[in-house]
Amino acid sequence: MAFQILLNFSLAFLWMFLSANYSANGFLIGFILGAIALVIMRRFFKSRLYIGRVWAIIALTFLFLKELILANIAVLKVVLKPKLDMQPAFFKYETALTEEWELTLLSSLITLTPGTVVVHISDDNKYLYVHAIDAADIDETIASIRDSFEKAILEVSRT
Amino acid sequence: MRTNNLILQFTSKFVFFIIFFFAVHIFFAGHYTPGGGFVGGLLMSSALVLLVIAYDLKTVQMILPVNYMYMTAIGLILALGTAAFPMFVGKPFFTHFYDYFHLPLIGKTSLHTAALFDLGVFLVVVGVTMTIIQTIGEDE
Repeated sequence: MAFQILLNFSLAFLWMFLSANYSANGFLIGFILGAIALVIMRRFFKSRLYIGRVWAIIALTFLFLKELILANIAVLKVVLKPKLDMQPAFFKYETALTEEWELTLLSSLITLTPGTVVVHISDDNKYLYVHAIDAADIDETIASIRDSFEKAILEVSRT
Repeated sequence: MRTNNLILQFTSKFVFFIIFFFAVHIFFAGHYTPGGGFVGGLLMSSALVLLVIAYDLKTVQMILPVNYMYMTAIGLILALGTAAFPMFVGKPFFTHFYDYFHLPLIGKTSLHTAALFDLGVFLVVVGVTMTIIQTIGEDE
């Protein structure tokens, strides 16, 4: 991943030296040509192309925006209900993520979507303790987190 | 039994870089726009304090083995030296010099001795703030 980005930058500089065009424009052309060369040589790398990861990050951003709007509407419904029949609950969420940045990202995403707040991470980094404002169906909440955010983050980090 | 501060620690590692860059930017912006040595120094020490909060004093002292008393002293000497230098060339105390230079990469810039004085202020502020934090924090 890091090696591929470095290689792409080196190729861009190589293009700048070859074409004697030392401007941002020349760098950009070289970078795009380097990306094309990387796609052609993709079978020779041990890990997958970083371009796919960039795409996964963009997809994650849009997924987050979608979830943010949907969850805000759900919380609005809970708040504006004349009857207070919501069921607040704490639940334990077993995560498959291991890296620090993945856990931080997942916790931030869960916290930023209204209705759920991460309150604690267990000492072995295996469980997140989440508070939900209206968890009539906890299994459904867990499944929704697992299918949306965790899957998208794993998509970014898989080799 | 320490609680697991994973989110705080990772985020502070990440945010440290942003605050550091902002501190340097504010320090150099002081001549024409708001900013300067004092605010830059406070921002710099706030970045360090964030690390102290996320980890602990001993860890940060191990990562950055800086004696902040010496840093304060160096800052004071730098500020005083910048202010006293014109007296040796027959100008009044605190006269500043400036000129335009062609630097590589940056192009035409005006270099001013006030920046050196500001650097002294910067070092004094960082040193004093961190000394206060450390002496209070190490109190058992």
